[in-house]
Amino acid sequence: MMKQNVNVDQWTDLFASINLSEATMHRWHELFEARHPEGHQGFLEWLGLDQAKIGRIRQCSRDERW
Amino acid sequence: MAGDVRSYSISELGAAFGLSRSTLLYYDRLGLLTPSGRTGAGYRRYGAAEYERLERICRYRELGLSLREIHQTLVSGKRPSVATVRRRLREVEGQIASLANHRRLLQGLLRQLSQPDAETTVDKSMWVEMLRVAGMDDEAMRRWHVEFERRAPGGHATFLTSLGIPAAEVDAIRQWSRRQDKG
Repeated sequence: MMKQNVNVDQWTDLFASINLSEATMHRWHELFEARHPEGHQGFLEWLGLDQAKIGRIRQCSRDERW
Repeated sequence: MAGDVRSYSISELGAAFGLSRSTLLYYDRLGLLTPSGRTGAGYRRYGAAEYERLERICRYRELGLSLREIHQTLVSGKRPSVATVRRRLREVEGQIASLANHRRLLQGLLRQLSQPDAETTVDKSMWVEMLRVAGMDDEAMRRWHVEFERRAPGGHATFLTSLGIPAAEVDAIRQWSRRQDKG
């Protein structure tokens, strides 16, 4: 059965598999939050994260501190 | 002060209540506030009673009663009628509803204006730009598609579609990804 959504583990595995650094992922979250905060929220929800986790990621993105 | 036995010219009385001369002339014409007398030269003079009457007129004006309603109230010698106050209350409630609506519209506009991009949906070009600025090059993006198609083909399809990529292009990307994977 084809899964329609991607969960957060699959997502991070994806980036790890192509050897993308954590720094790049963090930078990408920071950009996403700065440019499209609502899009960032929506995307994190699509990954199936709970609101508390989403809140932490978005706060780290804003503070640029992980 | 009104307690004094003094009279006021139309200008003095106006100044005491922040009203123009023409307003007091208008009140005189309406019979709402009549001067107590005239000077020898014919200028209006107002006494303490007129001062107090104008105080009441101004207070009722502040409440939003019409001049006609104020006149009726003063003529009755009593306080404003229930009907009069009800009418004014309904008017104010209508204004509150209208202002609340106004506020809602302004808040909505402010939200839109405060966002750097009016567009809240992220499309393909925004996504690619973010990955690029984050440090992903074209090669890395290609490999990413290949891995995505391999590990979660349904998710890959959904994700590409959510970026607003047309179905034909989504299929093309996915097919290409599968071909790359086969080596």
